[in-house]
Amino acid sequence: MALLIMHSYNKSHSSPPRGGNPFQNLEKTSVLQEARTFNETPVNAKKCIHILTKILYLLNQGEVLGTREATECFFAMTKLFQSKDTVLRRMVYLGIKELSTIAEDVIIVTSSLTKDMTGREDFYRAPAIRALCSITDPTMLQAVERYMKQCIVDRNSAVSSAALVSSLHLSSQHGAGDVVKRWANEAQEALNSDNIMVQYHALGLLNHIRRNDRLAVGKLVTKLIGQNMKSPYAVCHLIRIGSKIIEEDYANGTNTISDTQFLEFVDSCLRHKSEMVIYEAAHAIVNLKRTSARELAPAVSILQLFCGSSKATLRFAAVRTMNKVAIMYPAAVAAFNMDLEGLIADSNRSVATLAITTLLKTGTESSVERLMKQIATFVAEISDEFKVVVVQAIRTLCTKFPRKHSILMNFLSAMLREEGGLDYKTSIVDTIITIIEENLDAKESGLSHLCEFIEDCEHTSLAVRILHLLGKEGPFSKHPSKYIRFVYNRVILENATVRAAAVSALAQFGASCPDLLQNVTVLLSRCQMDIDDEVRDRATYYLAILNSNNPSLCKNYISSNDQMVSLTLLEKTLKDHLHGPLNETFNLALVPKTAPTPAIAEETHNDPMITTNSVPKAPRVTREEVNVERLLQIPGIQRLGPLHKSSPAVQLTESETEYTVSVIKHCFPQHIVLQFDCVNTLSDQLLENVKVDLLLPEGYIIRHVIPCAKLVYGEKESTYVILEFPADVSSSSATFGATLKFVVKDCDPTTGLPDSEEGYDDEYMLEDFEITVADQIQKTKVNNFAVAWDAADTEEWVELEETYSLSAVNTLQEAVQTIIKFLNLGPANATEKVAEGTHTHTLLCSGVFRGGAEVLLRAKLVLADGVTMQLTVRSTDQDVAEIVSSAIG
Amino acid sequence: MVFGKMFMKILNKDRRNKQISILIIGLNNSGKSTIINYFKNKDDRKFVSVPTIGFNVEHFENQGISFTAFDYSGQGRYRNLWEHHFKTCNGIVFVIDSSDRMRLVVVKDELELLLQHRDIKRRRVPILFFANKMDCIDALSSVKIAAGLNLEKIDNKPWQICSSNALTGEGLQNGVQWLTAQIRECQQTKELPHE
Repeated sequence: MALLIMHSYNKSHSSPPRGGNPFQNLEKTSVLQEARTFNETPVNAKKCIHILTKILYLLNQGEVLGTREATECFFAMTKLFQSKDTVLRRMVYLGIKELSTIAEDVIIVTSSLTKDMTGREDFYRAPAIRALCSITDPTMLQAVERYMKQCIVDRNSAVSSAALVSSLHLSSQHGAGDVVKRWANEAQEALNSDNIMVQYHALGLLNHIRRNDRLAVGKLVTKLIGQNMKSPYAVCHLIRIGSKIIEEDYANGTNTISDTQFLEFVDSCLRHKSEMVIYEAAHAIVNLKRTSARELAPAVSILQLFCGSSKATLRFAAVRTMNKVAIMYPAAVAAFNMDLEGLIADSNRSVATLAITTLLKTGTESSVERLMKQIATFVAEISDEFKVVVVQAIRTLCTKFPRKHSILMNFLSAMLREEGGLDYKTSIVDTIITIIEENLDAKESGLSHLCEFIEDCEHTSLAVRILHLLGKEGPFSKHPSKYIRFVYNRVILENATVRAAAVSALAQFGASCPDLLQNVTVLLSRCQMDIDDEVRDRATYYLAILNSNNPSLCKNYISSNDQMVSLTLLEKTLKDHLHGPLNETFNLALVPKTAPTPAIAEETHNDPMITTNSVPKAPRVTREEVNVERLLQIPGIQRLGPLHKSSPAVQLTESETEYTVSVIKHCFPQHIVLQFDCVNTLSDQLLENVKVDLLLPEGYIIRHVIPCAKLVYGEKESTYVILEFPADVSSSSATFGATLKFVVKDCDPTTGLPDSEEGYDDEYMLEDFEITVADQIQKTKVNNFAVAWDAADTEEWVELEETYSLSAVNTLQEAVQTIIKFLNLGPANATEKVAEGTHTHTLLCSGVFRGGAEVLLRAKLVLADGVTMQLTVRSTDQDVAEIVSSAIG
Repeated sequence: MVFGKMFMKILNKDRRNKQISILIIGLNNSGKSTIINYFKNKDDRKFVSVPTIGFNVEHFENQGISFTAFDYSGQGRYRNLWEHHFKTCNGIVFVIDSSDRMRLVVVKDELELLLQHRDIKRRRVPILFFANKMDCIDALSSVKIAAGLNLEKIDNKPWQICSSNALTGEGLQNGVQWLTAQIRECQQTKELPHE
């Protein structure tokens, strides 16, 4: 592919560039043909090196070799081991590494490589280790274990490093981890090496081996802190490991002595003689969540110093770090606004971009215009990646200074018109959509910019999103008719997917604007002639509904979108239905609704403390979706209605006990299903008829208990209790006592078979747990809270207002988090973030109580000797309003 | 006179590319690596030998000729890898553990496979058999092994069987001398226009 591009690049120039790439016209088949030269004796080293280079070049250009081709080539290459040419041998190592994953029987070179790695020729040893580890699979590992151990502690630093790094790679292979663990002693010895690289690599391996044992990692760090390591790389790594531990402890709410010790160490590294270490320490401090202003100051001044450095890398590192944390500590960053202003003119464009965007994040309303002008001068020169950074900065600006939307919006639309990849365009469209959602004034201009964009948009996914948005927002704008033209243009000009989306958008206009209905039906009937099935189907469907003149049909099946069921679950339940007896009708109400997707801001906020490698994002599956699958296996569960919400698991035992039990609460409209996940950690016991005995508070009734028939050692099984909520909503939040009851049979630890048929009854005390208000509320996301709030000012709604003094919390942010946690409500209009330095804040959030009662909440907070709160709750149900407002107090 | 001249010429040619590539195969634990070890310089010798995985390339000089020996692993799972070097070798050394009566049938099977292989079947490759471990008390004699393996049926290749003791080196030199001579002869006949 890359070859192709290069090829066409050359064609576009009339004369080929001089001194061009000698390999550009290589062909796989002819190169593989040439590889037969390897079989000739005596070996012509020079020729073979050249051929090997060609093979490596092809592989690195993305050429794919089949298994047979690769194997043939590999075995031809093995003949080259007879040559004594050092360069050729090292090329062979590279070839082995490249082909090791494609060719078969690669273990054939094991002995040859072991010989080289233990031999006298130092040139061979390190690369031979790397090649050896690339061909070794876990089953073969034991054969080379002895040599690897020797090499890790070898006096030659290149050999030792190669062995350490190769072990690290090996240990991530499935099944090899346990073998590599046995090399910890050797790695420990290598840690004392004088060579800086060996020390660094040894620390890396040791940390990797122990990564699952927090205590051991802690010990390792504590020990090394005292040792004053020579290698700056190792110190950097140590800082990262240390700060990861601090961060985890902070997240768990524990604070150990070692944390303070680590923090002192990181702090002392600010005075290290290596710039790299100083930066790493500053970076760590700035990113730690528990950092206080006192610790922050020296770190920030270090970064400030780096901003003035003559080295571009240091400037870049400093600005990038400040850019990341600008939102968290605007006051601290504001201190070096002057330095940043200087960097805007930096010859390095990346530094300049980061400087400007940092300023944008921290800047005041008055400086926005000036800064935007400066960005405009060089935005065309920077890469897409940095453009995305700029766009993100603009997004934060928009939320911060809603009044500046016109400048920002114009800027965004100009960027939208330029060339750019999908990621870049998506981020711009995301930003515009966020602005439209959050700022009513910006809606009209934003929509028209987006309309313009889809007139010439090559990305189907974006066009579909924008059309959906137009359908949702367009009908309620001042002149809905003007959007119809844009939407219908898509029907004429675009591919089937976009056309289908456009048809849906048109229908929205028809449903919500009676005066346009006539025109829309004409347009839709034209769409019925479309060549695509989906487009025709949609047009016919919408036409039928629109022509029925039934407003409630229109409302339920066109305009209202909140009936979104989880698609994966819908698919599954439909499949189950087809397999079951078909004389029952399918009940859509059984399929749970999807939880609203969390705010985008969360996703873009990367973890700044990444220590090793980023984890690939798992596809997002809501807790409810996972749970329903299991719950549906419980007989009679359908009678309870749709699942409203599942709580996260709560541990009811210490983690290191005989039996561990955790509870998940599944909330249904009138019932709650308690799922107890039990694990038996005793290998010589078999538990039978396991169930949980509850001490019920008043009002709750046990409807059903499903015991777990058999609990084998080490396996997780569940037992369920189905409770009915008390009729009185206000007594639904309550505490439960719990005891695990079961029959024990002693068994043989190895086979798991019980020694005798006789067992004896036993029980095990569990910790108490609570059913709270939060368990009964599902979050919702309201796009425009003000509208929803005002709409709730009718007779159908109940309003409750009370004032509380929150004595336990000290900051506004803490208060906000407590409220959200206690009530499990979804915050709106980004009010979950409290601006720094303010003394008042208003939190807006919303949710749905089980049974479907909506809840809107406004909390006005004032900070003065603790936090005072005026809480206003609006709900469609009197009891719900009461229980919500009393949950905080 | 004429014959003598030709012989000199071939000798010279041999001296120019005095590289000979041989393949050393046989069941595991028959002493292949140990045999190679004996031919190496005194400084290069290893005292402990471990089971070979895959193969090893060793160089040694003998009678003024430099040998490149591909010393293959004899373990069951690697035996199918031998064939990768059949095409390019000038000679084959097949090592047999003469004290291992039990597995003589396995040796016979492997030998059969070797002789029937498409890269070997029609080639006139000299094969040298070492009946190794002759010092063991219950070792079979080379004659008995030759009979057991039906060696006399090999008609299109020169072959020879020598009793040997790789630890002391007994019998090894004789074998290699025979092999060298045979390889020379083979190359000689190859250079003649019609066989």
